[in-house]
Amino acid sequence: MTSKNLSLNGIFKQFGNVRALDNFNLEVGVGELVALLGPSGCGKTTALRVVAGLEHQDSGKVLVGNQDISNIPAHKRNMGMVFQAYSLFPNLTVEENVAFGLQMRKISKPLRLKKAHQLLDLVGLDSQSKRFTHQLSGGQQQRVALARALAFEPEILLLDEPLSALDAQVRVNLREEIRRLQLSLGTTTLFVTHDQEEAMAISDRVGVMNQGVLEQIDTPDILYNKPASSFVAGFVGTMNKIPAFINDGFVEIFGEKVVALKQGNETGKVLALIRPEAIKVSTTGSKFNAKVLTRSFMGASSNVICQTSDGTIVQSLMTSAATGDLHPGSEVQLQILSKEVLVTNV
Amino acid sequence: MAKAMKLRQQFPLVITLLLLTLFVFIPMISAFEYSIRTPLEGGYGWTHYLWAIREEEFFHYIFRSGWLAGVTVLITLIILVPTMTWLHVSKSPVRPVIDGISLLPLVIPVVAFAVGAQISFPEFVQNTVFELPFLYFVLSLPYAYRSLDIGLNSIPLKTITEAARSSGANWIKTISTVIIPVIRSSVMATIALTFALSIGEYTLTVLLHWDTFPTWVTYVAQDNILGAIAISMMSLIIPFLILTTITLFIPERSIQGRK
Amino acid sequence: MLIVGYFFLFPIFRLVYVSFMSNEHTFTFSNFETAFKDPYRTGFLNSIKIGIFSAAIAAIPGAVAAYFIETRGSSKLRRTIAVMSGVLANTGGIPLAFMFYAALGIQGKLTQFIKFLGWDIYAGQFSLGSFVGLLIVYLYFQLPLMVIVFSPAIVSLRKEWSEAARNLGANQFNYWMRIGIPLLFPSFIASFLLLFASGFSAYATANALTVGNLPLTPLQIGGLLDGNVSASQLNLGKALGVVMIVISALAVIPYLVIQRRSARWQKL
Repeated sequence: MTSKNLSLNGIFKQFGNVRALDNFNLEVGVGELVALLGPSGCGKTTALRVVAGLEHQDSGKVLVGNQDISNIPAHKRNMGMVFQAYSLFPNLTVEENVAFGLQMRKISKPLRLKKAHQLLDLVGLDSQSKRFTHQLSGGQQQRVALARALAFEPEILLLDEPLSALDAQVRVNLREEIRRLQLSLGTTTLFVTHDQEEAMAISDRVGVMNQGVLEQIDTPDILYNKPASSFVAGFVGTMNKIPAFINDGFVEIFGEKVVALKQGNETGKVLALIRPEAIKVSTTGSKFNAKVLTRSFMGASSNVICQTSDGTIVQSLMTSAATGDLHPGSEVQLQILSKEVLVTNV
Repeated sequence: MAKAMKLRQQFPLVITLLLLTLFVFIPMISAFEYSIRTPLEGGYGWTHYLWAIREEEFFHYIFRSGWLAGVTVLITLIILVPTMTWLHVSKSPVRPVIDGISLLPLVIPVVAFAVGAQISFPEFVQNTVFELPFLYFVLSLPYAYRSLDIGLNSIPLKTITEAARSSGANWIKTISTVIIPVIRSSVMATIALTFALSIGEYTLTVLLHWDTFPTWVTYVAQDNILGAIAISMMSLIIPFLILTTITLFIPERSIQGRK
Repeated sequence: MLIVGYFFLFPIFRLVYVSFMSNEHTFTFSNFETAFKDPYRTGFLNSIKIGIFSAAIAAIPGAVAAYFIETRGSSKLRRTIAVMSGVLANTGGIPLAFMFYAALGIQGKLTQFIKFLGWDIYAGQFSLGSFVGLLIVYLYFQLPLMVIVFSPAIVSLRKEWSEAARNLGANQFNYWMRIGIPLLFPSFIASFLLLFASGFSAYATANALTVGNLPLTPLQIGGLLDGNVSASQLNLGKALGVVMIVISALAVIPYLVIQRRSARWQKL
């Protein structure tokens, strides 16, 4: 079964007074891995469940391969889903779990067990095939869940925060494994998470959602460097928000004039959005404009948090070597390294 | 569309509740209707209820049962709370054994228990005020133990106790000021269960020839059936109403919150 | 701590110990022999039958009711039902007998209503003190008991399982056949066992309704303990009691074992 593309058109979904999805539109190309990223309650899980058929949209359409599946019940949609946790059937062994989708499609027992073992092998758990859920660790359970979702070669793969319940190290390893599998099988995938690092690390494109609306969807690079709104800017990576004043298309940051990139018609008082790596902290020079509050050593680089004379907190990312002699209270000069900054309304 | 689906979903529940309500309330209402009949005057009235309340033994027996139940509750709490706290905190290997023992009264039919109690008690605490409460305590043990067990499991017990002790509280203080408030809902449930069980306990009481409210009602029934019905109705409906009201009006407090 | 712990074990141990003493005290097994002959034999058979049947007719409706209440009811509804079930499950004896006399007795409201619809339930052998009558009355507390005991199993059926099943292609029927029912089955059996024990041991209600017409073990024991108790009566009572304990244990101990095992996936 080859993978297909996925479209959501004009989806509205309301729960009581809360609008979970507000005119939500999304296109996922064949074989693409798109992540939906956002804080709790932004609607990303709802969107996923609408695609899966576990929630029914109030209005709007879901198309797979350009075919309208909006009214097809969940169990007839050809999609594999991995839940956050606890989704393996406790009364079935690992291999029976993985073979379940095939069993529902009336594949004979020898054939479906063979396929189950194939997939368990792919995730490295063939040795556990006769065990039960409660005998496996969290990471192992999710790998079984992944195998189960892929066993019947679904057109679309859906992942609902599959790594959120796992330990940090397991999370990193497993997300790479998911990406590998997805690429080798070429399955169109929709991946929901609130962890921006995770989304950025493995996705072809990332869609940032906020309160039922898709704010921006782009490749990780563009998302990081050209955030379309201050919400996106603040959510993806760390972002400094420095008060400034627009004058004639320019703002003054730490004494230097830089081009102000407007998103709309910002005038007057604005916030300049600057990444920590675009700010330099130095002890040389004559004009000290800030004091160091803390320095966090993170290996090759260090995070230096300073406070300017007007009280603004500024975070800078520098190499540890360059910041070795900085400590709380040191007087420093902050400089901006880029020639242009994004601005947004206060 | 969504509303139609919701209705379809709720339909079986509504039917279930309807059937249950009918089943539960038809006998109750029938009996109630009986109890407000006044055969002498024809028509309806509260005569029987008033008669019951005016019967001097009415309150005597209510207090008696209430008093016995109260003592039982006290015994239960005093014995169980410290013991179980200790069991949980010390992670004693004895614990599964005690768990099992707490379920023993479930296994033994009350009737058989009565036989045993009849024989074994004469030399122990015979015929004192304490005999019945202790027996009631044993009978309510499965429920009380389980209720407290659930409560103690749901709090970070070891951490709290250590925090309290290291701040200088002795055991009694720790239990009374720290632990009990935290598992308050469990304790309340235990008190309610034990109290209800003790007040309503009939089998053991009558077989051991004691007189409490339930046995008195049986006695009354022989002479004045309608009066006895009135009393029974009160003893059913009043706790029922009280408990339902309490449940509806107490907000559900979850100490752990979400995981 | 230990003293306190020991203290409450005492009455229980005495009881169990003493129940077994009935063996030695009589020097022979004569009491047990009597216990297995009529009328006590019939008593046991009747009691066991009542246990099984009252459990059977309450089990499925109770399970279904528990399912709908737990899965579709609001939080308030669930709590209210839990409390009400607790009260109802403990209803028995005279009050319960009254309620059913009032509803289904010869002059009962419901009896009259049904007569009005064309069916005289008292035309044949029916009476509330008969076997069938008791079954109907026992249902009143067995059903709530089933709801109480079975609800935890329903609650632990995770939503994720039914969703995952649907996602993998299972319709409702498939889900129940392969996942739902297999998971619930042990708890269902366990609940049934507990209901059996409850029906088997019921004393107060049976006493109030049958007035000695139906041989039931709890009532027979009661009879032996009535009034001035003679030694031989007491010993027979002990023997009957021991047999009751054994039968009850045969039901309740498997119940406990099953519950322990189910707890594994229920806590998942």
